[in-house]
Amino acid sequence: MKNSKLETVKPEDQLFALEEHLAGALKPITPPREVVTRLRERIRFPQRDEIVLRLGNWKRLFLIYSGVMSGMLVIITIARAFFYFFGKRQM
Amino acid sequence: MPDTEFNEEDVLTRASQGDRDAFGQLYERYIDRIFNYVYYRTGNLHDAEDLTARVFQRAMNHIRNYTDRGVPFSAWLYRIAHNLVANWHRDRSRRQEIPINDVPVLPSKGDHPERNLVRSQEQDSLLRLIRRLPPERQSLLILKFVENMSNAEIGAIMGRSEGAVKSLYHRTLLALRDQLGDQSINLDGE
Repeated sequence: MKNSKLETVKPEDQLFALEEHLAGALKPITPPREVVTRLRERIRFPQRDEIVLRLGNWKRLFLIYSGVMSGMLVIITIARAFFYFFGKRQM
Repeated sequence: MPDTEFNEEDVLTRASQGDRDAFGQLYERYIDRIFNYVYYRTGNLHDAEDLTARVFQRAMNHIRNYTDRGVPFSAWLYRIAHNLVANWHRDRSRRQEIPINDVPVLPSKGDHPERNLVRSQEQDSLLRLIRRLPPERQSLLILKFVENMSNAEIGAIMGRSEGAVKSLYHRTLLALRDQLGDQSINLDGE
């Protein structure tokens, strides 16, 4: 019955009617309030992402790494000097 | 409707300098629109929530890279959403499909809550048909009808010219009309 009606309607009128149907079906929706609140919290405190972002800063990482390595080298050199001067006498 | 107190350029500058409150303002402004887009593309409330969160997290992480080249910030956000939804569909196609009838009905803006519960069978059938369309055509219809965007605005998001969007829209309507004929949905305008 409906299909027979379809055949009698002009193609351009069908497209116009289809647009009306689409406008009726595709309406803007309101996201639930709790969803918006939850999302806001997830976005405000993205701890994991912040860490990833910081780790992605290679210049800072390089400085930290070279600082730690230099510090270790200084400590090892001083320890070796102490051992050389004082450890040798005790033996 | 443009907000007189909201200076997007200023807010964007502050957000790109790491100002969380400024990004919060952008979030408040665009959350509904991005959620709408993702919801209609996924048809699933939980995935829509998760993907919307990812859209804003990605936007926040890369906002320093956003440069205003005449493309609105909203278009940039929609592109992120478009890519994430495409990835989601790709991952999902490898897994088991959830029946489309399980799609929850959310309240439409301006509608009474009671009326929202009674969505017509024809509209549901139409939504099912829309979700069977190729992703680009789905996006086009959502941006056009849900977001009320012009062809030029849609083109900016989809990376197509205004004419190409117009042509794609016409072809989409024709394809839908043919499919609706098989589904016995009344298009006589009554």
